[in-house]
Order: sequence, then structure tokens, then C-alpha cells
Amino acid sequence: MAVDIDTIKHLCDLSKLDYDEEGMKKVMGEMSDIIDLMDEIKEFDLTYDDTKDGNEICFSDTREDVPEESYPTEKLLSNAENTDGCYVVPKVVE
Amino acid sequence: MDLKRAKIRDLRHALDNKEISAAELCGEYFKKIDEIDPKLLSYITVTKDEAMKAAEKAQKMIDEGKSTVLTGIPLAVKDNICIDGVRTTCASKMLENFVPPYNATVIDKLNEQGYVLLGRTSMDEFAMGGSTQTSAFAKTKNPYDLTCVPGGSSGGSAAAVSASLAPAALGSDTGGSIRQPSSFCGVTGIKPTYGRVSRYGLVAFASSLDQIGPICADARDCAIMLNAICGHDRRDATSAPVDVPDFTEKLGQPIKGLKIALPKEFYAQGVDDIVKTAVMNAAKELEKQGAVLVDCSIPGLKYAIPAYYLIACAEAASNLSRFDGIKYGFRGEGRTFEELIRDSRSRGFGEEVKRRILLGNYALSSGYYDAYYKKALALKQEIIKEYNEVFEQADVVLTPTAPTPAYKIGAQDNDPVKMYQADICTVTVNIAKLPGISTTCGYTAEGLPIGMSIIGKRFDEQTILQVADAFEQGFETIAPKL
Repeated sequence: MAVDIDTIKHLCDLSKLDYDEEGMKKVMGEMSDIIDLMDEIKEFDLTYDDTKDGNEICFSDTREDVPEESYPTEKLLSNAENTDGCYVVPKVVE
Repeated sequence: MDLKRAKIRDLRHALDNKEISAAELCGEYFKKIDEIDPKLLSYITVTKDEAMKAAEKAQKMIDEGKSTVLTGIPLAVKDNICIDGVRTTCASKMLENFVPPYNATVIDKLNEQGYVLLGRTSMDEFAMGGSTQTSAFAKTKNPYDLTCVPGGSSGGSAAAVSASLAPAALGSDTGGSIRQPSSFCGVTGIKPTYGRVSRYGLVAFASSLDQIGPICADARDCAIMLNAICGHDRRDATSAPVDVPDFTEKLGQPIKGLKIALPKEFYAQGVDDIVKTAVMNAAKELEKQGAVLVDCSIPGLKYAIPAYYLIACAEAASNLSRFDGIKYGFRGEGRTFEELIRDSRSRGFGEEVKRRILLGNYALSSGYYDAYYKKALALKQEIIKEYNEVFEQADVVLTPTAPTPAYKIGAQDNDPVKMYQADICTVTVNIAKLPGISTTCGYTAEGLPIGMSIIGKRFDEQTILQVADAFEQGFETIAPKL
């Protein structure tokens, strides 16, 4: 196994995902196979040179930071549940 | 009107000559969708009401002599491109009821021309897959054989065009998601150079690799669609401020003297013989037309799958962290902030999406970053270098689009490694930010299409369209029997 249960639990914490016991076992097996495939890249003997990255295409210059009208709040909130002009979240302060 | 593999040009002619009205035309498509799509499942949402209103508007433009190339042309759009007021699900339970409050730039551009939206096509969930079987809502089938996959992730778009349920459709391509389903469904699809088409409004999977492009009946229609959607956009910082040529300009020009490179690694073990033979026969056909075939090598292909998946999943893990169940999307349950987010994500995302988030966070996490993510970036630089060397001695590169024709539904279920390895022929194009087009070059004995990819230099979509068109003019395609 390329990954153990503690690694998977740690990844779930980082990813904010939960699995039940059976799901955890299944995903551990799948992730082990996937990481075995990813491990092939370790044979490749080259070092990343960040001075050479992203220089091949000339992208846009950053635009001026000018305030503009945005989308209407009502429309933006229409995809959220339980809104009263605000996003509603569980109580965060005990 | 016979819509079987009707081209945009044919429809334009019919609309301009008043052989059919815009409303009648989309009505004809809806009739076909109602009849065929229940067994094909290429659409997630069909937008009849919106289409009729758009058709009326388009007809007015036509009647007033103000029509442009796409005025009144019905099109389908992959369900990960935001359309104001039209549900955009990414084929995920996470976005089942999400209605974007804005248009993607490509949609604004199509609207300016007066296009008519037929509906939203199915895809792999969040564009993660190559079969459209990870869709939460419509597991699309292959129009040539309903027991086979249509490819993916833009499988709904490719199947809809193949089955003549739309004359053309928009897709998106992160590692082959336009080209591979085009190959499996016997149609033509182009992934433009990274930066050519604005990604504003495309739900992000891997931001350094994603690109929107069209899937059409042939290369000529792809050129027409590209003319409509390309161009610099100030709302997308990665959209390139480069001139946009007329993509139809080189169509029909002879390819005599054009150098076509055949990288030996793409014709090695792992690619079906029938695919190799079909692509090599196409190469010979192009040679007959005066092109010069050149041998070459892309050794980095050996590590392309891990490099691609490490980069794509690392970016996906970051991009998909926005789905917390609060601002939009599926909202789970929980007494605390943490519980709410974890429950929303755990129940909102499908299994493949969750696996890719886990892999991305693995590659980015402390202790693994240098060994995986940075190594993948090193490989990306190597692949760019290798393609640059190839393009010093050739104008385009010719490869198979996929190692196999369409496979049976279920054949790769529960085997993510096999699924990832099947992307071998397409991922380097995204890694190197190149344009690539897939067109049909043969059929198996069972009648399944085989696709070949023509890869070009950055921002040289014109030449790959020219080569694809040169081949298509002498090749007879077979439409699916549905």
C-alpha cells in the first residue's frame, strides 16, 4: 500500500471530506494504486526551474484597479439558502 | 429539412434564403432531441422556452439583413459554461440547482451574433473523466453503439453533434476532453491554444490547462465557431492579448510541402493496432497530397500521465475548495462551520471528484510537494522543450487521439488507474498549451469511429484546421444509425 490509513485521514482533513469506514477502506486502495502510478515520475531526473515557467505566452497586463458596478446582491444571493440579505452560516462562536 | 450532420454553413444558407425560419429550425432540433435523446442522454437541460425567444430575436436580425454567421444557429453548450439564468450543473449534485448570475465571455460573444441555445450537454462531473459516466444526471451513450461510452468529459456535446441533435456545441478541454469524445463519436473538435479563448465563466477544473473549444461536424465549422469565440478578454488575466486571424483563411489551401511530424512514442505499445493503422493510413493520404512526413520523438510522453494528473489535481483541489455549501451549491448539514462544509462536500461531490481532490492535496502537502508537484512542473518544462524542438523541423504533429476506439460502458468502472492511462495521447497538448484538433480517420469493423489529432504551434490554429480540412475533403464519414 502506497498510503496508510493515517495519510488518508490527513488528506480528508485537508480536503474537508468524510468517508464512512467502508468508503475509507475503498478509497485507500484506490489512492494507493493512483499514487503508485504517480510514483513513476520519481524516475524522471530533472529539477524544476521556476525562472523558465510561464514566460512562453504573453498574458494580459494587470488591469487598472478601478471600482466598477458588480452583479446585483439579490442575484448573487439567489443560489444560497436561508438568506436574509446575508449568507447564513452555523454559529461560529461558542 | 434534413438535419443529418447538417453543417453550420448549410443552416446559414437555409436561414438566409428563407428556406426555414430560426424558430422552425430549432423546433426541428427539439423534435429530434425529444425522439432520440431519451436513449442517448446527451443533454442535461433542454432550453425550449429560451430557444424560442432567442429564435424570434434572431429572425428579426435576419429579416432586417443584420445577420452574422451564427445568427439563428442552434447550438448546445457543455454544462460547465455559465449562462445567466440557465441552470449550470457541471453534472454534479453539488451544483444541481445552481443558476449563474452572469454569462461566460464565450456566451456573451455568441449572444452578440444571435445564436440560439438548444440546451446544456452532459459531461463527466466537473469535467473529471473520459467517459461521461461520472455525470450525476445523464450518463451519455455513444451514438454509434449505445452500449459504449461517448468519451469525455465533453461526451454530451460530442454525442449531440454526432447524432445531429445540434449542429455544433461548445466543450472544454483540460486533458483531452474535447478531442477524445470527438474521436469516439466521429466528429471534429478543436482545443485552441491556451489563452486563445477566454475562460471567464468556465467553471474551473485546472486553471493552467482548461480551454473552451467547439465540437462540430467538420473542421470548416470549427473554424467558423472559433472566429466567434476567440479573442482577448480583460476579465481573464490568462487570455492572451494576441491578434485573432480569420480561422477560415487557410481552409482549402494545398498542404504541399507542409511537414507533418510523427512522434514514435505515440505509435508504441499501449495503442491499439487498429488505431495505429488508421492514423498511419491518414498520414499516407496527407503525404499523397504533398505533405512531408517527418519522424520525431517526444520522450517525455513516458511520464506525461503522472505529470498531468499531479498538476491538474493540485489545481482542482484548490479550485474546488470554493464549494463549501454556503454561497452556492449543495448545502449539507452540521452544527458547526466545519461540519457543514465537510458534509456539503462529502455528499455533494461524486467519487471521482473526491479522489482527485485527495490526490491534489497529497501532491501539495508538506513532505510531498517537491517529490510530486515540483517534479511534475519540471516535466511540463521538458515536454514544452521537446515540442519546441519538434516544431523546429515540422509544421504540425500527427498522433492518435485515443489509444482505443470507444469502449464498453462499465469497462473502466472502479479502475481509476486504467481511466487515467487512457488519456496518454491527449494530455501533453494541454501541458504544452498547444492547439490540437481531432478528426475521424477510420472506423472499426464494428463501425466505431477512430480519431487522429493534429497538433500545432502555439496560436497556429489555422494550420491544424487546414490539415484537418485537407484530410476531411477526401474522407467519407459515416453518420450513426439512430
